Amino acid sequence: MSKLSRTIALLLALCMLAGVSFAFAEEVIDADLTCTITLGNWPADTAPEAEKELFEGYRRTMAKQYPNVTLVPDYYSYTLSNYVPMAKGGTAPSIFQPPFTDPQLLISQNLVGDVTDALEEFGVLDQFSPSYMEMLSDDSGRIFGLPRDGYVLGMHINLQLFREAGLIDENGLPLYPKTLDELAEYGRIIREETGKAGLVFPASETYGGWLFTNIAWNFGCVGENALEYQDADGRWVCNFTSPECIAAMEYMRDLRWEYDILNVDATTTDWAGAHSLLGTGEAAMNFAADDSVDQPTANKGLPVEDFALIPFPAGPEGRYALAGGTCYMFAPDISYEQSIALMAYLKILGKLPFLDEDIIQGMRADYAAKRDRGAPVLPAISAWNDEAYNAAKQEIVDEFCNVDMRLYADFFDSISEGTITLKSEEPVFAQQLYRELTAVIQRVITKEGADIEKALRKAEESFQEYLDDEINDY
Amino acid sequence: MAQSKTQPKGHAKLRGNIGSWLIMLPGLLLMTFFVWEPLLESIQMSLYRTRNVELENFVGLDNFVSVIGKDDFLQALLNTFSYTLWSLVIGFVLPIFLAMIIGETTRAKGFFRTAVYLPNMLPGLAVIILWSAFFSGSESGVLNILLKRLGVPAQSYLTNSKWVIPIIISIATWKGAGATALIYMAGMAGISPELYEAAAIDGASVWKRVIHITLPAISKLAATLLILQIISVFQIMYEPMVLTKGGPDNASLSLMQLMWQYAFGGAMNYGKASAVAVIVTLILLVMTAIYSYFNRKESDWD
Repeated sequence: MSKLSRTIALLLALCMLAGVSFAFAEEVIDADLTCTITLGNWPADTAPEAEKELFEGYRRTMAKQYPNVTLVPDYYSYTLSNYVPMAKGGTAPSIFQPPFTDPQLLISQNLVGDVTDALEEFGVLDQFSPSYMEMLSDDSGRIFGLPRDGYVLGMHINLQLFREAGLIDENGLPLYPKTLDELAEYGRIIREETGKAGLVFPASETYGGWLFTNIAWNFGCVGENALEYQDADGRWVCNFTSPECIAAMEYMRDLRWEYDILNVDATTTDWAGAHSLLGTGEAAMNFAADDSVDQPTANKGLPVEDFALIPFPAGPEGRYALAGGTCYMFAPDISYEQSIALMAYLKILGKLPFLDEDIIQGMRADYAAKRDRGAPVLPAISAWNDEAYNAAKQEIVDEFCNVDMRLYADFFDSISEGTITLKSEEPVFAQQLYRELTAVIQRVITKEGADIEKALRKAEESFQEYLDDEINDY
Repeated sequence: MAQSKTQPKGHAKLRGNIGSWLIMLPGLLLMTFFVWEPLLESIQMSLYRTRNVELENFVGLDNFVSVIGKDDFLQALLNTFSYTLWSLVIGFVLPIFLAMIIGETTRAKGFFRTAVYLPNMLPGLAVIILWSAFFSGSESGVLNILLKRLGVPAQSYLTNSKWVIPIIISIATWKGAGATALIYMAGMAGISPELYEAAAIDGASVWKRVIHITLPAISKLAATLLILQIISVFQIMYEPMVLTKGGPDNASLSLMQLMWQYAFGGAMNYGKASAVAVIVTLILLVMTAIYSYFNRKESDWD
């Protein structure tokens, strides 16, 4: 080898070494961060291959960026009942995913970990949507959770039954109910024309009350007529016997006894059962949100072209829709290092408002997996106030979109144009409130002559006692 | 003095029994940690205001007063007695009947024994899901499909407050009767065949043999199984929880389910949940004491 060749070879080797070092420097974000985090909701062995590979990809990226953070996959799926003993026993996963009904309860019971400092470290503290901030922080403003995704309650529609009932316009779009009165009327047409339920209403456990609150808001149970409110002395008061709430419950009665549009086993139907009935063509409409569009389609076999999502119908006193979602929360005993590692993990998942190639690839893989499963790929309702981040997400959605967006346009337009008012769940002890209201709904739809006011009064007394026990007299 | 020579005292007695104590030790430890400790802690918790599973302050009987004063407790209590009553009507006689029928069978006895026991081998939740499809009130419900063939319109079953408890008990009986029947069969196998032969020679009919030989012979076993059944049914929970979620309008809510609701159904009130658990325990203690009293009296008469 000549001297020149040797020099060139040496230079090339140096360049390569420098390149490798540079690449390494780019990939490793923090080699000093040393801790172990357990990750709840890891895909089970029976999960689709695409989903498992997606999470393995997250794990590889995390291993590159934080080589001394050990990830322990955990198949844990949150329920309030299984979480409490785990949190008390110190075996809760570092990260888990409760619905937005539970954070305030978990925070008040000291059952979740504080990640405020870690969020500060990542510089995203001020980019939360304020309504989500409110749900995930305590009175002193400390943050205990992050939004995973938000949802807005609307209505799922089975277009096959709408077509069969003749409720389709000349463009092939559904003539869907825009008001609760129309809902009853259209439901009756569907029942008469198809023999199927016009509306599936899951009236078991807490689901019935959960959906009913949205109907009640549209009948005027907001502000001073709210289902629960704080009086001048700061005491929480239950208010189920307002004329507005009674009217809303009378509407429920009419759906069953006048229009007869409900599914027959409403009192034993739960959330999953409702999606199943819509997906299998046993019911035409279901009060459900944009985050569960995969349930009747990918999970129950309804083709995406036979599915539509419409805004929640307006009531006589307004047009409200429940906004909520699922969040990430953390074990009560996490250390600062663990909280940093968890934020890093969420960043890789694309759940923090950051954009880089890995995150974009993650989003693409996520939407591709959805499309491959036969689930509608729709724009997500963002929980972050970061325009660049939201625009980038929309671009990817457009690339993978597998539906006729005209079947969803009114739903998303109603949110973006503000023609529907978004409202979060009732502020305190919502699950207990739903349980009380579900019992009333069950009575009203199973006993034709049920005394609505009496049933509501009984529920009001019971829930008031609960409020007194848990907050007012605490 | 003579007594002190024949009976070892104090540590000597303990040393003499040390082998027995060692054999009992694992069982005692398990009982202590998994039965007595949780039981005592539950009683303690029922007397406290709680913050999740932590005790906050002593409230005496407040939790009991609050729980008993609510309509859903009375409803759950009545429902639980109703479950027990229906289980006696539907589920007590059936295993005895099955055991007799199979006992009288001369061919394929093993097959029938396995067949009646088979439902007991199925996972409980699978049984519930299976029967929920059978009793579905929709037109695609299995029972409604069968009735439709007979020209009967579709009915609602699990949403009918009058039918829901008998249906749940029927399902529980379908699952559990085979196992109880096997116990009765074992009991009947111990009856001397000579008694039947003698009765047959005397011209006793099958019915008379059952009345005068079989039933008296298994009466003690039946009494024991009766109280076990009452205790078991009194704690019914997962069947209504999965099948009806306690509905419609609390018509199938059981006491144990009410306890679950207080603890895990959103309220997260472990103090009140423990109060319900203690009440259930007390009711069962009273019922067992009544049973023991009559059982002892009967033994005395014997």
